[in-house]
Amino acid sequence: MYKTEPEVVRFLNEFDGALERGTIPMRAFNDAELHELELDRIFTRAWVFLGHESEIPARGDYVQRRIGRDPFVLVRSEDGEIRALFDSCRHRGAMVCRAERGNAALFRCPYHGWTYMNTGALAGAPLLKDAYGSELDKSKMGLYAAPHLESLHGFIFASLDADAPSLDEYLGDMKWHLDMIWGQCELGWEVIGEPQRTVLAANWKAPADNFSGDDYHTVYLHRSTTETGIMENPEGDSDLWDGYHVQLGNGHHFIRNMIPPDVPGPRFLGYPEEVQKLFSPSMLGEEQYEGLKQTVGLVGSVFPNFGFLSFPFKHDRSADFVATMSVRVFEPRAAGEMVAWTWTLCPKGVSEEFRRESYRTTMGTFSAAGTFEQDDSDPWMSITRAAGATYARKVGMQLDYRMGMNGTASSRRVDDYPGPGVAYYSVLEEGGQRGFHRRWLQFMRSDDYPPRMTPEEQNAGAGVAGRNGDG
Amino acid sequence: MSTETETATRTEEARIPSGSPEYWRCVDFLLDEAAALDGNRFEDWLGMLHPEIDYRAPIRVTRERAAGPGFSSEGYHFLENRDSLQTRVDRLATDFAWAEDPPSRTRRFLTNFRVCSVEETDDLRVRSNMLLYRERLDETRQQLLVGKREDDLRELDGALRLVRRLVLLDHSILMTPNLGIFL
Repeated sequence: MYKTEPEVVRFLNEFDGALERGTIPMRAFNDAELHELELDRIFTRAWVFLGHESEIPARGDYVQRRIGRDPFVLVRSEDGEIRALFDSCRHRGAMVCRAERGNAALFRCPYHGWTYMNTGALAGAPLLKDAYGSELDKSKMGLYAAPHLESLHGFIFASLDADAPSLDEYLGDMKWHLDMIWGQCELGWEVIGEPQRTVLAANWKAPADNFSGDDYHTVYLHRSTTETGIMENPEGDSDLWDGYHVQLGNGHHFIRNMIPPDVPGPRFLGYPEEVQKLFSPSMLGEEQYEGLKQTVGLVGSVFPNFGFLSFPFKHDRSADFVATMSVRVFEPRAAGEMVAWTWTLCPKGVSEEFRRESYRTTMGTFSAAGTFEQDDSDPWMSITRAAGATYARKVGMQLDYRMGMNGTASSRRVDDYPGPGVAYYSVLEEGGQRGFHRRWLQFMRSDDYPPRMTPEEQNAGAGVAGRNGDG
Repeated sequence: MSTETETATRTEEARIPSGSPEYWRCVDFLLDEAAALDGNRFEDWLGMLHPEIDYRAPIRVTRERAAGPGFSSEGYHFLENRDSLQTRVDRLATDFAWAEDPPSRTRRFLTNFRVCSVEETDDLRVRSNMLLYRERLDETRQQLLVGKREDDLRELDGALRLVRRLVLLDHSILMTPNLGIFL
């Protein structure tokens, strides 16, 4: 384990105290030492998203993916099992998979020719007997592999920590929400095309923080999209804030915009009837079916670096709003550098026409070229720039995360949320973001695998935020 | 995954030699278009597009040699028509298109022009190499977008218009934080 230097310990203590007061020392968004510790304490332990089963439908299909900064091959092995193999030969460590995707029965190291089955097992090496005699036990020389890998509705997550809890346990109440989105389509969902990747001079936590409940930025940063009709322009500003913020514990967060049954409006995330027919109450039951039916849009984050988003948007100004679905990973590269990964998904079994329209509307709004997301990249980079500033450190500059903490603002904890979790209405509060950072702190400080964290514990110190609806 | 490197539809083409008036007419059009984009004259640029424009830039992934160049057949950075390009230009004209205000400084370098006529459509097809330099604010990281373009030009009301653009980028990871610019 990475050694926790006294200076880092001191900083994490400062971070703890600051978060209790609803602020965060800006340094957390750009610091080389903290970043190294994050790679060790977060990315070798947390469950991280690697890809979707539809990307590797056949045995032998593989894609290259990252866990933290580390290279893995996500492969559907010959035995049907999906594995995340560490892309490094057991002999000298050279990479055994050099293409981003493909189909392979064997992975061959180019250096000395050690060859592995797509299960990771060592199949052979040149002159094995002459070179090693009986010293080399092939059965013990397979590629390293992530000890835990699980799939939820085709979404593949892995953890590098043997002590990690199950994915279900890690997701906690987020699972109910992921079920609601991706578990009600009888034919399942599929990724369209390949993920898009862009390198940004930004810390990975800037977008992770954004996906953890930052509705507040929408009306200003993305005002160009309401002015041009890409996003629905609410008649009064207040309509934009109607929605639930749902704290799910373990640092996960869910934003949900709903339309009651008696109010006309988009149903099922704005999917058209041909797609709505593919959702079925027989999959999960009436509650989640009705839940999806009344949901017009959502944004979610799974700690640490997985986000997803679905809203109806308009990419062609003369066309109708089109349902979109994207998921993304914020790959950490350095304290001030990340790669944004964007996948677009669609239910299986839709018409070619809708599939294409949904794809281009998704990529046209939320991707590197997206009319929304290109503007997000700007503050994500400038936050990182300022967080690295000497002056900001010298004065201990704090970022403000107090929205919704003191119970005086309009957002309230509510009991009528149709689903698990601790819900707030409206979305004008920042509890989800505080929860993300509280979980971050827990991972950074824990020598053992961090235990489950309840929504109340996420608000530790900022306790009023967890109770501000009680009065 | 498409293994094709160039045009999606196989059409009969006849090479137009460099130096011929038609060749220079195409080159002049593309240089004027590049100047409009470098000059942030987006309404002028829209005026150079054919109403039926098909504008796309596929995602590229690293593949083994035998699998071809790795251009996606379904995944695109841009998959645009005249309407969506208009939406993008309208948005840039608002006071809230932050990623491009202040605008990037861009310089488009176009070379290696090869012109053909396309029998079925009477379009002129221009293949060229593109190097797009971009910088913004006081960022000193080099931002380059490099690739091959395949452009079909069609006569409309006595002038050439861009009716199809396929941008085949050389990047599997984009070296620029966003695509707030046109390729």
